[in-house]
Amino acid sequence: MEDYFSYTAKLFDPAGESKKPEVFKGLRVLDFTHVIFGPTASRVLATYGAEVIKLELPFYGDLWRPATYWGRYWKHSNPIWHFVTQNKYFVSLDLKRQEAKDLIYKMAKDADIVLENFAPGTAEAWGVGYSTLGKINPKLIYLSCSTYGQYGPMRYFPGWDLLAQAASGVLSLNGFPETDRYYKLPDYLGDFVPGNMAAMVLAMAIYYRNKSGKGQYLDLSQTDSMIRTLSNFTYKSVTGEALGRTGHADPSMVAASIFKARDEKFLGLACATEKQFEGLCNAMGKEDLLKDNRFSDYLEALKEENAEALRAIVGDWIKTKDCDEIVALANDKGFAAAEVATDRMICDDEWRRERGSVILFNDEMYGELAIAGPSARLSKTPARTKWLARPLGYHNRLVLMKFLGLTEAEMTDLEEKKVIGTGDDRPGLKPPLYYHLDKDPIYNYGREVKR
Amino acid sequence: MSLFKKKSKEKIYTRYSSAGANVSVWKETVEKLQTPEGRPEVLDDIMVLDASSANFSGIVAASFFAEFGADVIKIEPAGGDPCRKMTPYGKNVKGVGIPFMMEGRNKRYMTLDLENSPEDRETFGALAQKAAVVIETFPAGKMDSWGIGYRQLSEKNPGLIYIAITPYGQYTKKAQEFVNFPDTDITTQTGSGLSAQIGDFKDEPEPYGWPLKAGAWMGWYVTGLSAALGGMMALLHRQGTGEGQMIDVAGMDSYSSMTGFPASIGYTWDKPRPRIGVLDFILYPYSHWKCKDGLVAIAAPRDQDFRALLKILNRWDLEDDFKYTPDRIPDIIEQALELHHQIEKETLKYTADELTAKALGYALKAARSKWRGGGIPIVMKVMTPEETVKNPQWAVRKSFKEVEDETLGKFVITSGFAKMSESPPQIKWVSCDIGKDNEYVKTKYL
Repeated sequence: MEDYFSYTAKLFDPAGESKKPEVFKGLRVLDFTHVIFGPTASRVLATYGAEVIKLELPFYGDLWRPATYWGRYWKHSNPIWHFVTQNKYFVSLDLKRQEAKDLIYKMAKDADIVLENFAPGTAEAWGVGYSTLGKINPKLIYLSCSTYGQYGPMRYFPGWDLLAQAASGVLSLNGFPETDRYYKLPDYLGDFVPGNMAAMVLAMAIYYRNKSGKGQYLDLSQTDSMIRTLSNFTYKSVTGEALGRTGHADPSMVAASIFKARDEKFLGLACATEKQFEGLCNAMGKEDLLKDNRFSDYLEALKEENAEALRAIVGDWIKTKDCDEIVALANDKGFAAAEVATDRMICDDEWRRERGSVILFNDEMYGELAIAGPSARLSKTPARTKWLARPLGYHNRLVLMKFLGLTEAEMTDLEEKKVIGTGDDRPGLKPPLYYHLDKDPIYNYGREVKR
Repeated sequence: MSLFKKKSKEKIYTRYSSAGANVSVWKETVEKLQTPEGRPEVLDDIMVLDASSANFSGIVAASFFAEFGADVIKIEPAGGDPCRKMTPYGKNVKGVGIPFMMEGRNKRYMTLDLENSPEDRETFGALAQKAAVVIETFPAGKMDSWGIGYRQLSEKNPGLIYIAITPYGQYTKKAQEFVNFPDTDITTQTGSGLSAQIGDFKDEPEPYGWPLKAGAWMGWYVTGLSAALGGMMALLHRQGTGEGQMIDVAGMDSYSSMTGFPASIGYTWDKPRPRIGVLDFILYPYSHWKCKDGLVAIAAPRDQDFRALLKILNRWDLEDDFKYTPDRIPDIIEQALELHHQIEKETLKYTADELTAKALGYALKAARSKWRGGGIPIVMKVMTPEETVKNPQWAVRKSFKEVEDETLGKFVITSGFAKMSESPPQIKWVSCDIGKDNEYVKTKYL
């Protein structure tokens, strides 16, 4: 039989991905969401082929457009916004105007999914809630994203990722016991995790609709989503104790902690099984530990004082070796050890490029940018990046004229009334300086352009 | 929490939510969400085999399928999956660890020793003919060498979705070189980019300046969620075409591919980002501070939100120096830390609930203003999980459930993370007994 790795290399070949079918081809999504939670859910759908129409306010746009890391822009765009908004259609509509609502009602007729993450009740008050759109299209799947959910005494509390981290208990678990040091999860994980859960739940709703013909209303709370990832509640109910913060250590696994190697590099190390622990002892040249009553059994070795003693032994050994040596030994002896990877390491890792975990994407407007590949690789219907973020209102003509059949005169009228509009001359909203929108056939859909 | 004790009329803190005709209709919609029990289940037509071993992300992925109604069968040898023993400080009930108890929702248990018994592999192969999804976490190619990999199983069951979870994936030279490298939560956190960004400035005293790990199993839960999400996409393709496929999930991708930050920032910046402790790269104030009774999280990043925060803290004097976002983001660390300390001076004067009430009061006023109305400073007590569980919000939303199992007794688990009006996730039972459903599985599927 063919060698396994040459078989899988063909099965998952990143070069062939763009020719493979898309799961969500023809699925239309109206996306009212902004910042990260909702846009992440629609991003997942867009990478699997859904037609996501991202609706923004004319002249303002998504709040996250201009909000970059340390205020640094890349080609007048927010470099981290490209990942979250890839493959989307950018339409700007002033939701407060009746003309805009009429357009939305028209679009809702053939939409499959609508998402919003305004404060609970806002979409309803604006006449674009489920009670309105669900009547126009009973097969519609409508997702409301919020920090605390659409019902319950806290539903109207405003919120962000940070507040969900605070309210779920997830923030209180990061840091060092008996100190005042606490740290939130980085990079808005309190948005990204719920956003991916939301995408999964949307997929569930589509699966159900395919079977039953029924649309439905979904309520995702980012705090609920973060709560789902914690076993601390179960721990408390079983032991009567709070687990609290555990610093660098993972108290659930043998010898699990972050350590510093001789060359000042940091690594995570852990043993998931007794066999892996044997491998570690073997690598350390301390087979005697296997006979030590404190460590001979997995559960015994996890007891607080035993675990502490073991981490001290392992930590002392790690100090005598370079990080790469430890990782090589881990691979050789069969336990887990991995260096703390920084942005640059991840971006530049050769294997991640080869795998397609980091893709050098060449965009028509922005040129080359490294963009993260999908978190799961599907052999037949892979997720893919087709284009990056676009300036505010970039697809107005394409979507409204091609998909909705508006005429040139109607477009002019809407523009004059400022129901639709393009970007302000601000970074994050406008195209790169070198880019000529007037020569862009998509932006000018329906007009003659000279390339 | 005192904030919720008073049974008063619901207050609306944002300007546009104020009652219209639609809001009463919305109430009906929302009421439907509150009773998940007995509703149709999305995946009641599929069977999932979870053959994951010593890798909790497989268990997490299987749980998501189980919550939505799939018949999920956990396959493990008579000694049990090593995941049963992964538990804080070794705390367990009859040999079952806490995380395993929590994920033992709606699952069946069958004993098969895939590693050692050719006969059991055959049984597994027969079961896989009836399965929609197989989840496994063995070294890449291991199942294939046993004759029960995707290549073999899909021949007889072309509709099979085969999810393989490993640290480095199923292809590339690296995956081959690290084929026996085991998967753990902490190495997933360090290897996929999470640890580099959490923790304090590197010049803090040791070991506080080291990269940190998230207290929760963020590596494994993110990986498990990615696997289930990919699995759902494949199930949709299968539903339409009858065609299955293989899914390759790499733990080392988990954080970097979920946020996308490491790739794009690594590409556009000359240096890797430093760790910046309690500060935030984009938004400020967006952090947590000490207050009278613990910690309080405050988000007031937009200029108008920041002005509102200064007003409720009586610190308008800070406005001149920190007026605009560029004054507050930590590209000049000292400047951002100075603002952090100034804010802490004020938060220490109040309890978290007092600050929350102040912020909500301001938001209420702003929401009613005819004109711009100022910003919304957002405040929340930093709760421990033990405090979270007592919050009435989650009681109303049934986010926790006390469950009972014959063997394990009573305990609390998280439940119902998504509310759906037609086909919500449900917790039907919990159980963890090894081999409990051997007969059930044989009768139903063999």
